[in-house]
Amino acid sequence: MRRLEPAGEVVPNLAPMVDVIMVLLIFFLLGTSLDLVTQGVLQTELDPSSGPGAGARVTINPLIRIALADLRAGQGARIFLLDEPLADDDFDGLYRVLRDRRQAGADPANPVVIGAETAVRWKFVVKAMDAAVRAGFTNVQFAVSFRAGSLGA
Amino acid sequence: MTLNLAPMVDVMMCLIIFFLLAAKMVAAERHPVDLPWAVAAKEVEPSDLGARVTITVRRAQAGDDEAEYVVVDWDGERIVERVLEPGEVNVLLQNRAARAARENQKLRCVIRADRMVMYQHVEAVLRGCGLAKISDVVFTANSGVEPKEPT
Repeated sequence: MRRLEPAGEVVPNLAPMVDVIMVLLIFFLLGTSLDLVTQGVLQTELDPSSGPGAGARVTINPLIRIALADLRAGQGARIFLLDEPLADDDFDGLYRVLRDRRQAGADPANPVVIGAETAVRWKFVVKAMDAAVRAGFTNVQFAVSFRAGSLGA
Repeated sequence: MTLNLAPMVDVMMCLIIFFLLAAKMVAAERHPVDLPWAVAAKEVEPSDLGARVTITVRRAQAGDDEAEYVVVDWDGERIVERVLEPGEVNVLLQNRAARAARENQKLRCVIRADRMVMYQHVEAVLRGCGLAKISDVVFTANSGVEPKEPT
């Protein structure tokens, strides 16, 4: 006749589960962090005293004013620097002009205001901002119309 | 002597759920958009961006001049993409700005705009930022020189 064992505490072996969870944890850790570092950003601090939230239109006379006009229905952009058209509408040329101004002693904190016609493609606005940031200007502002539908410049 | 692994499993489960949700949120925030290129674009981790509201401006359809504004939101059960009407962008930004002010946070607006959308669509978000008094604005871009398009 078999003798019954006394009922004792059953402890499940958690080691394989911990192994699996560790692998999952490492996967998500790496997967998340690798995914995060692949995108760049351009940063700006808009001037709250002159934006649409300020309540009134403000006229500012920036050291550098870049205006972009649509060219060939979105295929290009005409570049104006302080109302003067830039030769070849070339953003590298814009960068060189801005860099020369910086090297000539322009204050990097002076606002660079970018305005664009509503139909200008976003990539050209970013190129203009890129040129200003590369040239060393830190205060890039955007001319924004108060009402939708009007020109941004 | 048996090591009690149950608390460790609890903690690891919480971590896994956190990273699962974070990965989903990141994937949703990073909905494929043809971003512009900028040499000066700095690579940052989203955690460095702090409290933020991310608005994706994408073309409604390929080749279309219309755009739609997308935000990632929590609908009570899962993370969803919500397409906003242009008028809703201002309301969203003002609500988020008010909440950030209550929580004493500095809110940042991250704009992820398709390189081929018209400036007026990004301008609408910038206008919303101005109305909501969000001055800290970040544009996402691919870091580097724009590759030549095949002719």
